[in-house]
Amino acid sequence: MTQAEAALPPEDEPITSAQAAPTPLSLARLFVGVALSGIGGGLPAHTRRALLSRGWMTEEAFAETFTLAQLTPGPNAVNLAAMVGARLAGRMGALASVLGVLTPGLLAMLVVSVVTLGQPGGLPPLLQSALKGAACAALAVLLTAALPVVRVGWGLRGGPAVTVLVFLALGVLRLDLLPVLLVGLGAGLLIHRPGGKP
Amino acid sequence: MTDLWEFFLAFVRLGLISFGGTNVAEIERVLVLHHGWIDARTLANGFALGQLMPGPNMLAVTHYGYAAAGLPGALTATLGFYGPTALVSAAAVLIWQRHSAHPWVIAFRNALLPFGGGVILAGALVLARTSVTSLPAALLAGAAFLLLWRTRVNSAVVVLGAAVLGALLGL
Repeated sequence: MTQAEAALPPEDEPITSAQAAPTPLSLARLFVGVALSGIGGGLPAHTRRALLSRGWMTEEAFAETFTLAQLTPGPNAVNLAAMVGARLAGRMGALASVLGVLTPGLLAMLVVSVVTLGQPGGLPPLLQSALKGAACAALAVLLTAALPVVRVGWGLRGGPAVTVLVFLALGVLRLDLLPVLLVGLGAGLLIHRPGGKP
Repeated sequence: MTDLWEFFLAFVRLGLISFGGTNVAEIERVLVLHHGWIDARTLANGFALGQLMPGPNMLAVTHYGYAAAGLPGALTATLGFYGPTALVSAAAVLIWQRHSAHPWVIAFRNALLPFGGGVILAGALVLARTSVTSLPAALLAGAAFLLLWRTRVNSAVVVLGAAVLGALLGL
């Protein structure tokens, strides 16, 4: 695998420091940073920004890893951290990345739980409004992460059709992920089967 | 006091069945209706707080664990919810890389990428339906998008700024 070395500069961000292969410790540090900036969601987008700006992953390798993370059961921001860590620095990399992405929020949530569970009633209205505002920005963060992933898939044979149909099935019709997955992947495998047209 | 082992297994199961994100309906069914470990109020509050915490959104499980069984509960819930799925993911990606030159793996990858594009766009739509409920909210989301797309400003700054604006506008 030469993705780390063969990193192409993405259009929107110059590579600041093309470092050597990341260590578990440097990955843990990266993911602590991702967690701290991921208030209100959008962790995959922050992960992408952090990895690409360090030149540790190409746009394409990230899109691939991100999609794989979507397919594994569980909270996909943490799965993505596990996958990126494993991909760049093996088992210890995975462990360090997961601990890095979980620890800041775990500590913050413990403190907040101790405080809020001590008081009756719900959250104050001001905080609820702030949460709604943060959610709007989180949506924007998600969109900036979505576009590169869509662009990579769009260039493949049959890609646009599959992307649009999956979007309609999951987003508009709200169908179950599993049947959509089987049909969508099945169609893609048929189009790209080995021995078929290149 | 709840039996921590039973508690742990319940969260392991919740983590493993939350496919492609979160499964709030099932979390409510198990924690509130079936076991009665937390009440509906705690469920809603924890979820809102989870959106505000640094890190994954579903840190709400830490809150639920704490509400049900104090510090041991919080740690048990977090470990159960996140541990097994992270292991599965790391194993999957390592297997994936080992066989990356196999023609069927290449075919699978080519099939997977357009699918991933559809999944993430669908997620954006679902999120937009719940959070963009008014014109000010739509404008706020649009402004945040332009800012993130066109400049290199840190996204946390954008999210926090939007939170302040949301509080000021009374969204």
